Amino acid sequence: MSVLEVDDVVVEFDTDGGRITAVDGVSLHLATGETLGLVGESGCGKSTLARAIMQLVPMQRGSVRLEDTDLGSLSRRELRRMRHRIQMVFQDPRGSLDPRMNVSTLIGEPLRVHGIGDRASRAKAVAEAMELVGLPAAVADRLPSELSGGQQQRVGIARAIVTDPAVLVCDEPVSALDVSIQAQIINVLDELRDELSVAMLFIAHDLSVVRHLSDRVAVMYLGQIVETGTASEVFGEPRHPYTHGLISSVPRADAESAARLQTARRLVLGELPSLLDPPSGCRYRTRCPYATAQCAEAEPPPEPVGRADGLHTVKCHHWRTIVSAAPEPQESATSQELAI
Amino acid sequence: MSGMPLLEVEDLHVTFRTASGPVHAVDGVSFTMKPGSSLGVVGESGSGKSVTARALLRLFAITDDVQISGAVHFDGQDLLRIDERRLRDVRGGQIGMIFQDPLTSLNPLMAVGEQIAESLRLHRGMSRSEAAAEAVELLARVGIADPEQRATELPSSFSGGMRQRVMISLAIACRPRLLIADEPTTALDVTVQAEILLLLDELRRSEGMALMLITHDFGVVAATCDDVQVMYAGKLVEKASMAHLFDRANHPYTEGLLRLVPRFEDTHTGRLHPIPGQPPITGGGGSSCAFAPRCSYAVDRCRSEVPPEVAVGPQHLSACWLATDRAKDTTEAGQPWRRAQ
Repeated sequence: MSVLEVDDVVVEFDTDGGRITAVDGVSLHLATGETLGLVGESGCGKSTLARAIMQLVPMQRGSVRLEDTDLGSLSRRELRRMRHRIQMVFQDPRGSLDPRMNVSTLIGEPLRVHGIGDRASRAKAVAEAMELVGLPAAVADRLPSELSGGQQQRVGIARAIVTDPAVLVCDEPVSALDVSIQAQIINVLDELRDELSVAMLFIAHDLSVVRHLSDRVAVMYLGQIVETGTASEVFGEPRHPYTHGLISSVPRADAESAARLQTARRLVLGELPSLLDPPSGCRYRTRCPYATAQCAEAEPPPEPVGRADGLHTVKCHHWRTIVSAAPEPQESATSQELAI
Repeated sequence: MSGMPLLEVEDLHVTFRTASGPVHAVDGVSFTMKPGSSLGVVGESGSGKSVTARALLRLFAITDDVQISGAVHFDGQDLLRIDERRLRDVRGGQIGMIFQDPLTSLNPLMAVGEQIAESLRLHRGMSRSEAAAEAVELLARVGIADPEQRATELPSSFSGGMRQRVMISLAIACRPRLLIADEPTTALDVTVQAEILLLLDELRRSEGMALMLITHDFGVVAATCDDVQVMYAGKLVEKASMAHLFDRANHPYTEGLLRLVPRFEDTHTGRLHPIPGQPPITGGGGSSCAFAPRCSYAVDRCRSEVPPEVAVGPQHLSACWLATDRAKDTTEAGQPWRRAQ
C-alpha cells in the first residue's frame, strides 16, 4: 500500500522573466519503508517538488495524498496536525537549527509544537531519536555551534524522525558535508530504514549515493520525470538517453573513466534550455542525439518498459529503437569510435 | 626517465601562525612534474592539497601570517625566491590557475572578452585589436557558442559551467606550461562536470601543457590524470600512476578514501566505511605517522616514528611502516577495498 501518493502535480512560479512551470505534471508513489531516489540536475524541479509535497509551495494542479488524506484539501490547522507524519531533512544543517537551543530542546521541539506526548514521554522519545542517529547522550546540552558538521546533520535527522513520521523527505542531506562525514550520514539514513519502517524520498544530485540508498529511482528533467523504475533497472539498463547520459557522466575511479565521459558528451548535447521557453513536444529533444520531427510535435507519454508490472517507465518516443547498452566497458569502446 | 622536469618541488613547508598556535599545512612535500604530464592531488578538506598549490605561486592573503620554506624550481628559477614582479609574470603567464568558484577570480564589472584581452596585452604584449580577436578565438576554443557576442557580456550572464569555461580560456590565454585546477568542477552538475573534464584533458594534449588537478574525487582524477598523489596532514602519503593505483592502493589512508564513497557500479552493498575521527587541525609536524590515530592497521612504531616514503612498485611510493607487507598482501589477496563487502 502506498503511504504517499503524488498525482499529476504542477507548480508554477512568476520570475523576473515571466511565468515558469517548475514542476510539470509529476506523479509518484512511496510504499511503507521504501526509498525513492529523485535525481536530476540544478533547475530540474526536484527541490520544488519536495516543497510541494510538504505543502510549502502552492500547487496549480494535482494532489498529494499522505496515508489516504489529501493534503491539499486540509485547512491550515488540519494540515498542521498531519505534519508530524511527513518530515524533512535539509541540506544545510547549521542553517536549519536555531543557534540558541541546545540539542535536546531542538530535537524535542517538533513534539512540543505538535503537542505530542507529555514531558516524560517526550524526553524518552528524544533520547531514543538521539540513539538512533548515533548522537551520544553527552551532547544533549550543547548548542549547534559546539557540534561538528556531521553532528549537526544528525540533529537535523533526529528532529525529523522524533515524531515517528511515515515519510521522510531528504533534500540533498549530504551534499554540504566533507566526504568522510558524508559516509557517516549515509550510514545513519541506511540504518534508519532498517530500524524504522519510514518511507524516504531521497533527493540528491550524486548518483552513486542515490543508487546506494534507493530501492527505486525517478529521473527528472525540466520539471518532468523522464524515467522511473527500480534502481537496478534505471541505473543498470537505462532507456532514456538523458538517464544514460547522466550515468555516463559520473566519474568513476577506473580505467574507462575518460571513455565514459565521451559517451556522456554524445548523449547530452549543448546547454539546458530556459524554463521560460521550454521545448515543445519532448522536453529533452534539444539536447538529444536521437531527436526527430516527431519529438518536436508530440510529448511522449510515459511507457512501460520490459516486465508488465509497469514499474519501469520511460518518456521517450524512440526508446525501443535506441540501443541503450549497459553503460559498461564494451559500450564505451564503441562510443570512443563514434566520438572520433 | 627522460627529459627535464617542468616543475620540481623540494621539501616544501608552509606554516600558518594562528592565534591558537602554528598550523603546519604543508609539511615537507617533494614532487616533480614533466612537461605535458597530468597529476591529480587527492585528500580530504584540510589535507594541505590546496595550500600546496597556492604556495607554488605564493598566493596567500595579506592577512595570512605564513612562512614558506623549501624550493619550487620552475623553468630554471626558484619561484619561492624570485621577486614579486617576476612572480607576477609567472602567474597567469607560464602558470595558469582555475578555482572552484570562477566568480571569485573574474571581475564582475568587466566584459569577459576584455578581461582575456587585458591578460594577453600584459603577458603576450599584443595590441588592443590583436588581443580582442584572440580573446574571441579563445572563447571559441573552450566551446562557447557565439563567441563574438559572448565576449561583450559580463560574467554574471554566464551559467556556472560556461563561467568555468571562461575561467579556463583566461587561464590558457597566455599558453601556460602548467595549469593548476583546484576543485574546478566541484560546484557543477555532473553532465557539465563531464564537459569541463574532457575540455581540460583535450587542452592539455593540444596545448602541450601540464595539468595539476586538485580534488577529493578519485573518479575525477581517473578521467583526467596519469599520475596521482594522496595528501594527509600536509604530507604526501602515496604517489603512483592512476592505472597502478586502481589495483594496488597501498597506504591505509588511500584505501580509506577509496572505501569511503559509494561506488556507482556497486549495487547496494551494505554500510559504507567512514574513516573514524578527523584530520588533525594543526596539520603535520609531529613525530609519528599523522594518520595513526585513525588507522585500523596501526602498530606501535606508527605512533613513535614518522614513516619514510617506501618504493612499493614502479613509480609507486607509500609513506607507511607497513607498506612493504601491504604491497605483498594486495598482490596476493587482491585489494581489500575491492573485495565484496
